[in-house]
Amino acid sequence: MDWRRFGFIAFIITILFSVVVLIGKAEISPVVIVTSMLATTIAVATPLTLGALCGVYCERAGVVNIGIEGMMLAAAFFGWLTAIYMNTVFGLAPMPSLLGGVAAAILTGGLLGLFHAVLSVTFKVDQIIGGTVINILAVGITGFLNRQLFFEKGSIFGGNVPHAPGVLPRIQIPLLADIPVVGRIFDQQPITFAAILLVIITHFVLFYTRWGLRTRSVGEHPRAADTVGIDVYFMRYANVIIGGMLAGLGGAYFTLESVPSFEPLMTNGRGFIALAAMIFGNWTPFGAWAAALVFGAAQALQINLQFFRESIPPQWAFLQISYVVGLAPYLLTMIILTGIIGKNIPPAADGQPYEK
Amino acid sequence: MQSSEERTSPQTKSIMRFLRPTLNALGVPLLAVLTAMIVGGLIIAFAGGDPFMAYIGLFQGALGSPRALSETAVWASPYIFAGLAVALAFRGGLFNIGAEGQLAFGAVMAALIGYALPGWLHIDLPAFIHIPLAVGFGALAGALWAAIPGALKAYTGGHEVINTIMMNYIALNLTSFLLNGPMRDPNPLNVIARTPGIAESARIPPIFSGFRVHWGFILALLVALAVWWLLWKTTLGFEIRTVGANPDAAKYAGIDTKRTIVLTMALSGLLAGLAGTIEVTALNYRHELGFSIGYGFDAIAIALLGKTHPLGVVLAALLFAAMRNGGTRMQFLTQIPVDIISVIQALILLFVAADAIIRYIYRIRAREERVVLTRGWGG
Amino acid sequence: MKRLYGVIAVLLVAALLMPACAPKAPDCTKADVFCVGMVTDVGKIDDKSFNQSTWEGVKLAEKELGAIVQYLETTDSKDYAKNISTFADAGYDVIVTVGFALGEATAAAAVQYPNIKFIGVDQFQAWPYDEDKTNDIANLAGLNFPEDQAGFLVGALAAQMTKSGKIGGVFGTDVVPPVWRFGEGYRAGAQYITPAIELFIVYHNDVGFDKTFTDPEWGATTANSMIDKGADVIFGGGGKTGNGAVIAAAQRSVYAIGVDTDQYYTLPEAQKMLLSSAMKLLTPGTLELIKLAKEGKFPSGNYLGKGGYAPYHDLDSQVPAEVKTKMEAINAGLLDGSLLTNVPPVKP
Repeated sequence: MDWRRFGFIAFIITILFSVVVLIGKAEISPVVIVTSMLATTIAVATPLTLGALCGVYCERAGVVNIGIEGMMLAAAFFGWLTAIYMNTVFGLAPMPSLLGGVAAAILTGGLLGLFHAVLSVTFKVDQIIGGTVINILAVGITGFLNRQLFFEKGSIFGGNVPHAPGVLPRIQIPLLADIPVVGRIFDQQPITFAAILLVIITHFVLFYTRWGLRTRSVGEHPRAADTVGIDVYFMRYANVIIGGMLAGLGGAYFTLESVPSFEPLMTNGRGFIALAAMIFGNWTPFGAWAAALVFGAAQALQINLQFFRESIPPQWAFLQISYVVGLAPYLLTMIILTGIIGKNIPPAADGQPYEK
Repeated sequence: MQSSEERTSPQTKSIMRFLRPTLNALGVPLLAVLTAMIVGGLIIAFAGGDPFMAYIGLFQGALGSPRALSETAVWASPYIFAGLAVALAFRGGLFNIGAEGQLAFGAVMAALIGYALPGWLHIDLPAFIHIPLAVGFGALAGALWAAIPGALKAYTGGHEVINTIMMNYIALNLTSFLLNGPMRDPNPLNVIARTPGIAESARIPPIFSGFRVHWGFILALLVALAVWWLLWKTTLGFEIRTVGANPDAAKYAGIDTKRTIVLTMALSGLLAGLAGTIEVTALNYRHELGFSIGYGFDAIAIALLGKTHPLGVVLAALLFAAMRNGGTRMQFLTQIPVDIISVIQALILLFVAADAIIRYIYRIRAREERVVLTRGWGG
Repeated sequence: MKRLYGVIAVLLVAALLMPACAPKAPDCTKADVFCVGMVTDVGKIDDKSFNQSTWEGVKLAEKELGAIVQYLETTDSKDYAKNISTFADAGYDVIVTVGFALGEATAAAAVQYPNIKFIGVDQFQAWPYDEDKTNDIANLAGLNFPEDQAGFLVGALAAQMTKSGKIGGVFGTDVVPPVWRFGEGYRAGAQYITPAIELFIVYHNDVGFDKTFTDPEWGATTANSMIDKGADVIFGGGGKTGNGAVIAAAQRSVYAIGVDTDQYYTLPEAQKMLLSSAMKLLTPGTLELIKLAKEGKFPSGNYLGKGGYAPYHDLDSQVPAEVKTKMEAINAGLLDGSLLTNVPPVKP
């Protein structure tokens, strides 16, 4: 494990939190502030974590995926669409509809993963182009269908906005969630918990199973892997599809966990941030999660600074300009990339098509 | 067709010799465009629209009248610059995904020089000095914005894809800050985050009065020529292409690869900066938020569709501009959402990139030629 | 290769033949055909608040006046003028442009096409079209709303309904004057009831202009953060960003307040906790102006639409009688001018 990197990340998050605690209004206790910031951080980090895990699977198998953004956006739309269909057209209860929506989102992500694999593994299209195609296609298709299905006269719901079946309910972890104040951290929605669980699972799969070993060998040295009888194409296909499914779950966060509505372009560049988080985290699941938390913490800081705008001391007045704080995670990523805290080592065959 | 070819005179033959490679180069992209439009039409029909009406609207809106042509040229100008920016970087083995940020930063700087310089100097500048200054500073700002990721790539190995994305967000925040704060139009009636209008002397005029098409479009065409000249007729261009094709060989041949990488990114940023600059100095006459939505990403598609060749980029930019511009009329006639344009553009890109699909559909033999645009993250 | 040329030739001919069959559109140039066109800002027509409410008004004109209606979505600010003239050149009688950002393009078009009536929603008519004089353009009316009063009303309501003494507001960017007026009106109204009230007011300034009203996920996250700090009334103002906050508040079972229209009808997900909405009556305001245009009584200059607060709906029984009385008194005071919000029209 890359302790130096984790130390740095922990240090950054602590600083971001301390700023808010220091300027927070006297009436609100620091514990409440820290807890609420942690809750925000974890929620914001959820789609970033899942997107970054998508990147980890793809790139560990040697396929660069900059289409995470498009995968999440398309999954957000089709997951939401499925949930609405199941709820309003087939008359299912909200809960099964929502779960069906999540399944559809994962399926959408998986299919786009398959598409990316076909392009980059079979057709050997430049992998960056494949990702770009997915991104542009997702924007167009979701925007077009969203309008055509829900707004235009003569659309299936007669131009009325259908009643979405709500969002996934919160889950309280027994005992932990009952702790006053801090319990809020253990009172989250299912995809958020799933994301954390998947970080652990991915770490285990990647570093402690045969599958993980094969995946990494295909990404590091496909020729050697081929010689010892590993099916390079199969491994790449499988991992890119798995990655796509994770990005799909990340997309479900937007429309089935955060808000029950779809908005064109609603992923808002988070797929690219997820990509940055993956590199930030040096292609490891825990690293990617930690990086996602940094982005989450910066967002939480930005929101909280506005709450306490009036109580910012004059010598810190620059913090009132939310743009200044907004720059922090991007600058940090660039600093990390320079390699001053540990070298960034991508899989050796990342981005290279393999010719049998 | 071929029977006439056999009986042709030597001149026709030499014309054919010239035409054939051009047609071959154009063939697959052209088929890709047409196939994408057919698939797009099917999607429109599937969603209950009238594809023929839609495409007629698209055609009319893009090329149907002098004004439509003028507007297409207006749309094409930033597309050509931004497409050239991405294409040039590709030639140097770099993926500049940050044209958007370079464009925005260039636009801000051009606006600043445009409205503030006469005040700083306390003199009225003549247009022949002011326009080049505004355009030059805008372009330099773009170059600087791209040179930073370039330098990081060359000297620390930080990958330019991530760094240019980060620089996009930084440019976005910076622009928002400047346009809401120090550079905001102080006119009390102004309610928008925008700069004051640039001085008359910094404005690039339209080519024909009554139409918006401006000299910036001509400049874009000239710059495309200049990029071609740079890439294939100069030492620097040779170095850029060599580093792009094979950095190890370039190093072996004694090329300073680090310097070349920084220069390639700077030149790429310069072109992207010009895209923003031209929008400010020749079209909007000020910079305001809400402008330049997604040019950077369209530029990637344009560069790829144009096979990263300046001539191809110009043609691809004209096509994209025609589609974006014609989209208004299509929407007006059929109420089909303009998002369908993005779908068609993505399909074009897909068919161009995965030309095996097109070759399969139309049974065209493949020629072994693959441009390697990017390598992994490592170096 | 020959096959390639053949395919290209066939497809090219097909492409060239297409424009031959020109489409038939209803002829708006005829005097007896009344056409209304609407141009959106860089935003979507189905935003469930601002653009959509205006479009509803235009569609009512279709129903009540038999007008032919059509909209155009703007994808880039450089297309404002082009989109307006697309309608103007087609002979439309009334063109509605939505959003302050279209102000200049609308004024310019109004001068260029003196026979067409222009309605500029949220466009305050003091544009420096002619900087020294304040002469109105005869065929241009700016439809404006007292957002500060609507915000003031729901702010006062929130301050009376909160139990924790903490209330929140989640808004789009404060660069847009109507949004800023909603926010500051909310603040002023809350402080009018409880001067020392704890207010969390957050504007979504940290993203591009095209994203600030279309980021429900951010709206929900921000509202949750406020609720975690004890806020028990959340006002969501500003397109879908605000909608996200309203829905998040309803899910956490704290009072939510909507914006622009009575969002009880547009956000069914939030019905059970929707206390009220700060309304600017876009739909009737738009229809009213279109009617006046048709009758030849088109007003120029600024036309003030109505604001207000929406009914309590499902929560009617939870609102105490004295609060209802107080709200009516405040509303009356704002209407007759005896009560002022003291919110300037534009962020200083």
